Amino acid sequence: MSDEPRADVGQTPRGGPGDALRSFVLAIGRALIFPVVALIIALAVGAVVILTTGNSVIDAYSALLRGGFGSPAALGRTIVNATPLIFTGLAVAVPFRGGLFNIGGEGQLFIGAIAGVGVGLFMPGPGPLVSLVAIIVAGLAGWLWGAIPGVLKIFGAHEVITTIMLNFVGINLAYWLAKGSFAGEGLVPGTDFVDESVRIIRIGGGLGGAHYGFALGLLAAVATYLFVWRTTKGYELRTVGQSPGVARYAGMSVAGGGFLAIALGGMFAGLGGGLESLGTFGKVSVPFISNLGFNGIGVALLGRNHPAGVVLGAIFFGGLAAGAQEMQFSTGVPLDLADVLLAVVLLFVTATRLVEYLLGPRARAFAAGTRLEKGLAT
Amino acid sequence: MDELTALLASTIRNGTPLAFAALGGLFSERSGVINIGLEGMMLMSAFAGVAGTYATGSTVLGLLVAMVVGLLFGLIHAVASVTFEADQIISGIAINLLALGGTGLLMVLFFGSGGTSPRIDTFPTIEIPLLSDIPVIGAVFSQSILVYLLYALVPLSWWVLYRSRFGLRLRAVGEVPEAVDTAGVSVFRLRYIGVSLSGVLAGLGGAFLSMSLLSAFTEGMTNGRGFIALAALIFGRWNPIGAFGAAMLFGFAQAIVFRGGIGFTIDQEFIEMFPYLLVIVALVGFGGRAVPPAASGQPYRKE
Repeated sequence: MSDEPRADVGQTPRGGPGDALRSFVLAIGRALIFPVVALIIALAVGAVVILTTGNSVIDAYSALLRGGFGSPAALGRTIVNATPLIFTGLAVAVPFRGGLFNIGGEGQLFIGAIAGVGVGLFMPGPGPLVSLVAIIVAGLAGWLWGAIPGVLKIFGAHEVITTIMLNFVGINLAYWLAKGSFAGEGLVPGTDFVDESVRIIRIGGGLGGAHYGFALGLLAAVATYLFVWRTTKGYELRTVGQSPGVARYAGMSVAGGGFLAIALGGMFAGLGGGLESLGTFGKVSVPFISNLGFNGIGVALLGRNHPAGVVLGAIFFGGLAAGAQEMQFSTGVPLDLADVLLAVVLLFVTATRLVEYLLGPRARAFAAGTRLEKGLAT
Repeated sequence: MDELTALLASTIRNGTPLAFAALGGLFSERSGVINIGLEGMMLMSAFAGVAGTYATGSTVLGLLVAMVVGLLFGLIHAVASVTFEADQIISGIAINLLALGGTGLLMVLFFGSGGTSPRIDTFPTIEIPLLSDIPVIGAVFSQSILVYLLYALVPLSWWVLYRSRFGLRLRAVGEVPEAVDTAGVSVFRLRYIGVSLSGVLAGLGGAFLSMSLLSAFTEGMTNGRGFIALAALIFGRWNPIGAFGAAMLFGFAQAIVFRGGIGFTIDQEFIEMFPYLLVIVALVGFGGRAVPPAASGQPYRKE
């Protein structure tokens, strides 16, 4: 075993199919160590909180599970929650692979949401066509909003700070439009509902509000995998992210790779926003749903910035949020516990040294895919 | 004249929580630990101050509780990002989420329901004799005791940072931790102190919000102020006096929003964007680029 970080699934196997299988299982095992450690700590902290509320830990956690996955309706709620998270998770994971940390998913999502609704409200034509154009425009708007920190980076402004700041600019811009040019006539501040024919079609089958945005999310994850891991452009993006020095030596544009990565990230968050406003809500209200962008960071990290991990992470986070309602209803443990669990997961999911204490120095090599090893000044 | 006095008073009231939190961010980031968790630390302490006051019947004890809880959240950030080498940015985001969920949970457990807490007694306004009688400027000297504490903390922070041995080491640990380590001074200890101080100061900011500016806790009441404080810190070039000035500038912007404009109309949303846009301009480099401490963001590992 060399010291090289080897988190990627699909190492070239040396021996027969047995060896290939073993190296695959090993790779998966290594990939799961950080998320699993973080999850165990979170569940332990959650258990303490549940005990202080005077409830049974088993009752509360089984209600959580039941509320997330126990029935078609529960599954539907989980899917509704998971849909935008797949997109905001990809919005973090793709830039991460290009060496940039996108904390701007929140603002990019709002920009996509308001752009999508704008098209949905004002474009004439048959519903499905309007819907399609609206989704594309939401993605484009997100792309543009994500491109801004990409450009600012070239001028030396670190993307962590610029994306944080642009979140609030984007949110306020979306609210300004929702209360101004796009404002509806109802008493609730925000836009009107888009026409029923423009809204994203629901899946049906007892899944409640779950719509085909979820399928688009799965498609986006597959497309991300194919682009980042199976194309030349994607290879460049990963090289720029992993070793900028090597990339520069090979004649790749580091700034260009970073720009592409974060603009793509913005596009995904924008798509997620568009699907929320056109699908789940049908409008942009003021205030609109918050924290999807920030939770996307947790989703991406739990999924180790891999598209497959992002989908699983989004379903997990979505299920947790859905299950929390059932938990509050049947045991009286406040649903805010879900946020606390997520926070603890996030707190420890990159804790390199902690995993090293548990598993020894080899753990450091497993950290690949959970963190970027550089400071703000670089 | 009265309008101007009221605007100045409101500027200071709105700038104070930002300035406390910005000073907090300063001590953390100067030690090499980015603190995006200021928002969460403020929110948690805003709750703790109200809960403490409610339970003990004393605003002073309530403030103490707020500071202790701020310290605790500082320590959580330090344990995660300094000891366990978790990513500092992610640890900060986790703290924000923890505070959001934690205060929601505690509202239910402590007050029986979410939303807004019962009202509490707040810190009274103290008018400094003579100074508070000056036209307009008098507003500076007719404030809550916490504001005077802030006035004292700004020069004190400057002195600590630039004139004391501790400050020299703290700044060094944020720039070249290896050198500090080689000199036989503990990088861990300095970073723990920096991040803990940051929690206490952000806690003071949060307490001011719920115990002086308002007189109750409302879920999510910090409403981005921790991030504006971060903006103030950067715009103030990681310097206590600069950070204070920027916080007051942003406090002025908020005062305009709350007072419904001054003579000209500008939509609220655009005034709220102002601090964030200004920081981006500063980072890109108009008027001297804002450069963060060199080691901020990187965990330190003894080789």
